[in-house]
Amino acid sequence: MQTEIRDRPSFANIRVRLEPGDEIVAEADAMASMSSSIEMKTRWSGGFVKGVLKRIFGGESMFVNTFSTSTGGEIILTQPFPGDIQCLELKGNTMFLQPGAFIACEPGVKLGLGWAGWKMFIAREGLFRLKVSGTGRIWFGAYGGIFQREIDSEYIVDSGHLVAYEPTVGVRIALAGGLFSSFFSGEGFVTRVNGPGRIYMQSRSFDGLAAWTNAHLY
Amino acid sequence: MDQTFSGGVFTETIDGGRAGAEIELLPSGVGARTPDGEAFVIPYRECQVEVGGFSGRMVFCRNADRSLTIFCESPKFAKALSFASSGMLDDQLTSGLKKQRGESRRGFAIGTFFVIAMLLLLVGGYFGIRAGARSAVLALPVSIDAQIGDAAMGSMDLGGPKLDDEVVVGAMQSIVDRLAPTAAIEGIDFRVHVVESNQINAFALPGGNMVVYTGLIRNAENPEQVAAVLSHEMSHATLRHGVQRIGQSLGIWAGVSLLIGDVSGLMGSAVDLMQVASVNSYSRAHENEADREGVRMLHAAEIDPSGMADFFEQLEEKHGDVPGIFAWVSTHPDHASRIASVRAQVAALPSHEYREIEVDWPAVKRRVDEMDGREIDQQPNADQENAEVE
Repeated sequence: MQTEIRDRPSFANIRVRLEPGDEIVAEADAMASMSSSIEMKTRWSGGFVKGVLKRIFGGESMFVNTFSTSTGGEIILTQPFPGDIQCLELKGNTMFLQPGAFIACEPGVKLGLGWAGWKMFIAREGLFRLKVSGTGRIWFGAYGGIFQREIDSEYIVDSGHLVAYEPTVGVRIALAGGLFSSFFSGEGFVTRVNGPGRIYMQSRSFDGLAAWTNAHLY
Repeated sequence: MDQTFSGGVFTETIDGGRAGAEIELLPSGVGARTPDGEAFVIPYRECQVEVGGFSGRMVFCRNADRSLTIFCESPKFAKALSFASSGMLDDQLTSGLKKQRGESRRGFAIGTFFVIAMLLLLVGGYFGIRAGARSAVLALPVSIDAQIGDAAMGSMDLGGPKLDDEVVVGAMQSIVDRLAPTAAIEGIDFRVHVVESNQINAFALPGGNMVVYTGLIRNAENPEQVAAVLSHEMSHATLRHGVQRIGQSLGIWAGVSLLIGDVSGLMGSAVDLMQVASVNSYSRAHENEADREGVRMLHAAEIDPSGMADFFEQLEEKHGDVPGIFAWVSTHPDHASRIASVRAQVAALPSHEYREIEVDWPAVKRRVDEMDGREIDQQPNADQENAEVE
């Protein structure tokens, strides 16, 4: 299976070349176009209950589609919002994704939904998060560009910008500065992340977009 | 002691720098084996132990130059590591766990504080807005009440033709005039309108427009009973329940924009609301308040206040089984307790010489009854007239 992320970073999409025997699992609605030789099978994302939970809390759809082919073909996968897509190879390790970030994965990857906790809710990352583990490649998307950082000591990320992080990364919620500057600087709460581990961040945040849109509505 | 745990490893020698791994506590040190079959070992004496991760329970073992990290989140791992290293790493483990516990406790305290603050803000905001709306409307000049009430009066469907019989209207006005000086606020000009209808009902709009239905007069045995109902309705006007309702329904901004003088836009919605509010019920609290204030007014005007409870009881006996006709009482819920509380209030009043209301009640009732006859007689004529006009 050959893959390529194209049109980066603004309107990234994944072009996947499937050979006979290859399979790729994608979020429902991620497919933008495909060869007629590709077959699609739809199944509950991890079973009925888990599928519904993922829909409600994980920002993902209840279904995932599995694409395969007997003769070879091409498929284009994309995400609903403008932004970059990142490919990541799992070797038995685990990664947490922000709700809605998942796009596609290879069949060896396990998708789960986990409780992220109130602190992540305050950090505007949602009460739940997706947990991907197993072996294989996964693709996830973000709003704006994606940049990663290997952290060993403390690092600060504004709320709403953290897209993916490893379980080894400790996350604490803190004020951006003092009480006054935190609320009047527009930074409010920030997340203080602690290594070792890798984090992926998005260069734009949905909250920022929502606030900006709101301000221009009237 | 060949226990294995699932965990992971960070090292530059692996492509991508990380992998999941089976962690094993070997005699020589902490070992990790990746799914690809690569094995790594950190000897116990070189091991730098840290505790952290997202859960705060992950144990990291790092070699001297920190180029290799083996980590595990299994709850039994710390104990097993301490045992396997014969206590060599205990100090580091204890201090790491202690630090994490302190942090999680601090996080919990901050989280709890945050949640409580949010709740307080929500509850406080709700009551603040309610109280704010109430005081904002109460701060408005009484002339606003009259503007709203007059506009509502002019456009609402009264449910019957207006009557301008001098005897009946004059009697009602004289009762109101006797009560008016005892009103809780000044500046309300009470004007009575009598409407021909079988409804046993009366209501007051903000600002002093009052409507009495002939059904109420017909069912009252004496003027004191009518005075009781009128005092209750006047209390709604003097206590400004109508504008308070508007304030609650339209929110605090209604009060604010009224205060800064932008009346026109709100006027329409206030009038609309009032047309419904006057016929529909006020809140229970407002009704009880109006009962108490009504009794106070009656007493202050030297009118026997026991008429109020008497009339409630009499109406229930007579018409309790007829829904609809019983309009005034039916919009005023929880009848029995209401009678009881009015009686209790009357009993608690200092004894007083009450003066009769100087109204020729039989004459008033006669006129109302005559009107009924005329109404029936004239019904076909009225239809004819309508037909002609059309």
